[in-house]
Amino acid sequence: MRSFEDLNPIAVSVYFLLITVISMFTMDVFLILISFFGALTYFFSKNGLKNPKSHLFPLLLFAVTALINPFVSHNGATVLFVLNNNPITLESAIYGLAMAFMLTGVLYWFRLFSEIMTSDKLIYVFGALSPKIALLLSLSLRYAPYFAQQVRKVKAAQTALGLYKEDNIIDRVKGGMRIFSVMVTWVLENGIITADSMTARGYGIGRRSRFSIFSWKAWDVSLLALSGLLSIASVFLLRNNVFSFYPYFALPILNAKSISGYILYFLLSLLPTIIHAKEAAKWRFLQSKI
Amino acid sequence: MFVIKSCRARGILKITIPFVVIPLIVLLSATVFKEKSYLLLSALIAVFSLLLFASGFEKKKTGSRRLVIVSAMTALCIVGRFIPFFKPITALTIITAIYLGGEAGFLVGALSALLSNFYFGQGPWTAFQMLAWGMIGLVAGYLSAPLKKSRALLLIYGVVSGVLFSFIMDLWSVMWYAGELNLTLYKAGLLTALPHTALYTVSNLVFLWFLARPFGEKLERIKVKYGV
Repeated sequence: MRSFEDLNPIAVSVYFLLITVISMFTMDVFLILISFFGALTYFFSKNGLKNPKSHLFPLLLFAVTALINPFVSHNGATVLFVLNNNPITLESAIYGLAMAFMLTGVLYWFRLFSEIMTSDKLIYVFGALSPKIALLLSLSLRYAPYFAQQVRKVKAAQTALGLYKEDNIIDRVKGGMRIFSVMVTWVLENGIITADSMTARGYGIGRRSRFSIFSWKAWDVSLLALSGLLSIASVFLLRNNVFSFYPYFALPILNAKSISGYILYFLLSLLPTIIHAKEAAKWRFLQSKI
Repeated sequence: MFVIKSCRARGILKITIPFVVIPLIVLLSATVFKEKSYLLLSALIAVFSLLLFASGFEKKKTGSRRLVIVSAMTALCIVGRFIPFFKPITALTIITAIYLGGEAGFLVGALSALLSNFYFGQGPWTAFQMLAWGMIGLVAGYLSAPLKKSRALLLIYGVVSGVLFSFIMDLWSVMWYAGELNLTLYKAGLLTALPHTALYTVSNLVFLWFLARPFGEKLERIKVKYGV
């Protein structure tokens, strides 16, 4: 068994799609909290506590989204206090808090997705849909750092020639535009040369095929099946579970059906953490034995 | 992958789905459906129309030069997004669309949104950004003859697409957050986004002003030099 991020990228993408779609479009506070918890546990078990500054933006987003709702929406029956003739209600505060948990949780899922989906995996996933789009993506992904390098060279040359000044904003915009214009010319010529080279090597003869080093092994298939089953089952079990926010915040009546739905979604959200923890434990165990 | 055979049917679907079906669903179901099911539906349709476009592109024969130029322009958009304050994605998408056709414009817009978000943060907004930037390119491709002729019209198109882009993205975020069209929240969102929108529009103008004409000349030069 491999770690979660080394499993087949299609299975991993489907997992992320399912977990984020469910938590994005639900109004179920428990589901939102479970998804938030799952995202953070996996994030911290994977990355540890390094780079604490990167959590500032999510924290800010959380604060803003939690606070904005009670000041904008005045629905709800329980008035906490009155500010400038506007009642601040408990219900809209709860709604804002729930949305803040949802947004921040989804944000962390997407951050994990961006971390895991390296460019080779991205090309593999798109290659399954369309080999030609995958070719486009791989060309662009190669070009981006290449162009960034060329921009630096052009800028250095322009500065050395005395054509690039940073005295005021007009000079800076003009200089930037000249560099951009140079880059466009260079990019077009370079592209034509690359294209001719591709044609010479036989691009366009026959159907496009693709190559990848990813395969489907037992664990990849089980991840795909497990995430599909768990999400379908939890959505099915919780389909009649309705939270009402206005006029009064009310929890749905918990019964065996809804509790098992929550448990299944909890398992789904902890799936990456479990796989990760198992792998980490195995690594330690084998190490100490040798 | 599933491909619709008829070229005309595909063309009609490509235009109607984003412009007619998505707004219709969002508006209709905002009153009919409860909770957020219509947002899920609109997201699904956004993804579906992107897939539709991809399948059409896959089926077609594309010359290597066209393919490489599209990916090079995409890469240029990604690099350009790192320029502080001035974002050239919209302008470059429009310019590419005018000179290389709507499909090329759609691809440059959609793919640069997808790829640059790996540096700037992926999120639920990615699919909508891809669709929005792609549509800006596709429409510019259809309007290429008048846009090529008149600079004023080109600049107007740049301003309109810049403003519409942020209005629509804000609308979607507000509806996602509030679960309904909350006008106070929408106004607040537009107001806080105002400096951003203004800067965005100005940068569209600047880039189109400086780049549109030279880009055409450069393409002409390439055509003469390499005999495209």
